[in-house]
Amino acid sequence: MRPFALNYARPAQQLEVSVPYAYDSRLQLNVLPDGRLAAHDYAVLRELGATTSTAGSKTHFDD
Amino acid sequence: MTVLILTCEQDVTADMVVAELDGSGVPVVRLDPADLPGPVALSGEYVHGAFRGHLSAGGRLVSMSGLRSVWVRRPGVPASRVAEPSDWLTEESAQALYGMLRSTGARWMNHPDAARRARHKPWQLHLAQRSRLPVPATLITTFPQAARDFADRFPDLVVKPVSGAHPQEPPRAVPTSRVAPDADFAAVAFGPTLLQRRVAKQADIRLTCVGDRIHAARKAVAPGADPDEVDVRFATSDAPWRPVEAPPLIAAGVHTYLREAGLAYGAFDFAEDADGMWWFLECNQSGQFGFIQIESGQPIAHTVADWLAAPGPTTTPPNGGRAWAIEGH
Repeated sequence: MRPFALNYARPAQQLEVSVPYAYDSRLQLNVLPDGRLAAHDYAVLRELGATTSTAGSKTHFDD
Repeated sequence: MTVLILTCEQDVTADMVVAELDGSGVPVVRLDPADLPGPVALSGEYVHGAFRGHLSAGGRLVSMSGLRSVWVRRPGVPASRVAEPSDWLTEESAQALYGMLRSTGARWMNHPDAARRARHKPWQLHLAQRSRLPVPATLITTFPQAARDFADRFPDLVVKPVSGAHPQEPPRAVPTSRVAPDADFAAVAFGPTLLQRRVAKQADIRLTCVGDRIHAARKAVAPGADPDEVDVRFATSDAPWRPVEAPPLIAAGVHTYLREAGLAYGAFDFAEDADGMWWFLECNQSGQFGFIQIESGQPIAHTVADWLAAPGPTTTPPNGGRAWAIEGH
């Protein structure tokens, strides 16, 4: 009784990575430990895949 | 006039836009509806024939009449972080927040009604056809025989979820996948199945349209790449995204699509074939753009910020939420 499309399913990657930045509610931005804005550190964003089009998201499927 | 951004704290893509708005001196209030009630609070009154509302978050208080735009990015489920969450409280909080925001004249990126409709991929295919965008032959069916007949006509097929969603129990991903030539389509009866002619692509295209401004990027498929590797999200290629000019007919089709959909923002996926034709795959009404900006250098966050910061509710942008309101429920 398995739908046809699920023949092509694969285990979702569990991306429980810890990020090196934290949200600053005063700035309304995520900030790195050295005070720089996370959004300006493309190397960090690229490494974490934090801005990519993701598959298998629990909450958003229009990436 | 303030820009309201509805998103979660972890959303660093939103950060890229907040930083742009900060640099332009445009007031911003960012909040996550998951924090309502609690860290996010609201109040609105309908008295003497007028509506007056206020929102507060992170020590900021904003009048709803002072909102120039609302960006619905990655909002959490309303009231999901209270001590005792419930479906009832979520509905109460969602109705209060979004109902009041609908009472304002702010421009939306994207209006919730337009966004909800735009998530339906079968509807996307239809609208793309009406917008004169090339759409690969597609079948959505629960009839196994229809699937067999379609496979006879189009022997090289891919299958992908109709909704774009992925099963969660247990968590699995369903990438766009090539269908084997000898596939047994009997299981099509157990769930609506989307089959589509495979485009033998030489590149993936991500076209981000903000209002009437287009940023298109191209990621070349490596020569000799595995033809079974269909879904760019799962591909192993490390080819970079590079800026590319959208063909005039594609640009015109994209503008028509967004106008008809009542969307201010859309991230389109196309597959470029060997003849250079761009085939429409889908339009993500809240698609990610940060990874494109990072690799291609295109200033998409700046363009989004420009749209959000444009003069407020008295003007109607080409792709703004006002057009949608005509069709609203």
